[in-house]
Amino acid sequence: MATNEVPAQARWRRRERAQTAGLLSAPLLWLVFFFVVPVGFITAYSVGAISIFPTDAGVLSLADWRRFLSGDTIYTGLFWKSVRLSLTVSIAVVILAYPVGYYLALCVRKRKYVLLLAIIAPFLTSYLLRVLAWKVILGDKGVINSLLVTLNLRGADEPIQWLLYSQFTVMLVLAYVWIPFVALPIFVSLDNLDRSLLEAAGDLGAGRLRTFWRVTLPLSLPGVVAAFVFVFVPTIGEFVTPLLVGGTSGYLYGNAIQDAFTRGLDWQFGSVLAMFLLLVVTGLMMVFGRFVQVRSVAG
Amino acid sequence: MDVAASRGALRLLQAFFGLLVVFLYVPIGILALFSFNDGDASFPLSGLTTHWYRDVFENPLLVGALIRSAIVATVSSVIAVGLGVLASFALIRRRFLGKSAVSALLFSPLVIPYLVFGVSLLVVFSAVDRFLTDTFGMYIGLGLHAVVVGHVVVSLPYTMLTIMPLLERLSVSLDEAARDLGAGPWETWRRVTLPLLFPALVSAFLIAFTLSFDEYAIASFLAGTQPTWPVFLFASLRVPSQLPALIAVSTMILVVSIAMVVAAELGRRIAERRYGTTLGVAVPTQPETAGPVGFSA
Repeated sequence: MATNEVPAQARWRRRERAQTAGLLSAPLLWLVFFFVVPVGFITAYSVGAISIFPTDAGVLSLADWRRFLSGDTIYTGLFWKSVRLSLTVSIAVVILAYPVGYYLALCVRKRKYVLLLAIIAPFLTSYLLRVLAWKVILGDKGVINSLLVTLNLRGADEPIQWLLYSQFTVMLVLAYVWIPFVALPIFVSLDNLDRSLLEAAGDLGAGRLRTFWRVTLPLSLPGVVAAFVFVFVPTIGEFVTPLLVGGTSGYLYGNAIQDAFTRGLDWQFGSVLAMFLLLVVTGLMMVFGRFVQVRSVAG
Repeated sequence: MDVAASRGALRLLQAFFGLLVVFLYVPIGILALFSFNDGDASFPLSGLTTHWYRDVFENPLLVGALIRSAIVATVSSVIAVGLGVLASFALIRRRFLGKSAVSALLFSPLVIPYLVFGVSLLVVFSAVDRFLTDTFGMYIGLGLHAVVVGHVVVSLPYTMLTIMPLLERLSVSLDEAARDLGAGPWETWRRVTLPLLFPALVSAFLIAFTLSFDEYAIASFLAGTQPTWPVFLFASLRVPSQLPALIAVSTMILVVSIAMVVAAELGRRIAERRYGTTLGVAVPTQPETAGPVGFSA
């Protein structure tokens, strides 16, 4: 018997292995060809290992990296400006979304998913459109300025111009755009919280505030970190919102990358800028990655 | 005593929630308002009209862009859902070496800035074209196929996030029972697993579709001479006279997409509730977390 079983088991295991390979091959091949290889290509391009245009030198050189890292170009400043801006936005958004997640997860009993959907639904509408809405609201002839004119608080020919095309506008619009998305992971982490822990804290004499600081907040930190990362990553590479509402003072690192590829046509230097951004994000994920349960982000 | 908030705190939280909802919806509402305004997109409003909605279909460039986006979104979501099903099965039902690395790779598109990914694909397509032109005198070029390729990559993790939770709860014994009753692997898939997974597949498709239809950053680098709807929208924003018509289209898309998502979510919940009681959901279902948009734990 035993001698028969072993080959059967081995055969079965072999077949299972073949099946697993079959399941994985298509998704993995797609990602390797269209995700890993492209990232490899800009890495290679950033050091001149491949050439696309006749003007490309086609010789290995770290010159562009050195030019960028030396800090003599405007790009280092732009990078830090982007970091500052998206840090501010991410923190503000998390702080704004936290009470909403808290309210929905712990205070609402009935219809909490309907209310959650109400918060998330705007995220499903066009991104460009939501940015555009603010252009209409804050513009020279926009909602706020025309309201001021109607109320005779300001003349028709002297609108408040700083409302649009400033760093503040970029931050406001980015916060507006990302709040719905951020409410989700925070809600999920609070909703999965064992309520009896809160009751236990109360029984042991902790007031609500103390319970919040010592129990609820620490337990919801994974959701908070996830929320933070998932706003920080897209906003640090943001270039659309600054183009629409940022003006010249809202010009960010992402715009520099886009310009390198579309206007300046300095693709090699653009690759350096893009690679650097990717390295920063990868580093960030290595630090925070273990806190970020991907599954917790999407629920 | 309620452990989460005192009565006063509850009031504050309620008020804050209300304010946030207002903050989120007022801009969208104002935009929708202008799509019915007989003038340009500025105050004061000059009268009610629906002609922007009628004009939409007379602009061939705009309709073309919408059609292109619909094609790209459909094709890329079908591919992404297909790949997502395969990957989800491997990750949930199989044990293999390097699983965590594979899983990390599959989910990594979630955290790449789309700008970086877009220019990477642009570089690859250009490099391959350069090679093809030099050696064979032909080239592939940019266009909708390139956009599809990119959109599949970024929507794949979202489809997996939608499919995996349901798959996790579907008992393997259902498949085994089907096999015991004489069904081959294909029949088991077609008559048992697929119907049970179907609600998740619909959600996954809709999420991927919405993502692709609205995606600008990647498409702007890869669309070439075939602008998709967001690319066209962005380019036309510079022309103020076109604004109301663009807003009208966007309002229509908005209404349709919200209706679709709500319908899909309702369908998924009804299906889940039905299967949850009568068919092999192995574990007692956890309190449904984050149900909307089909993301569930």
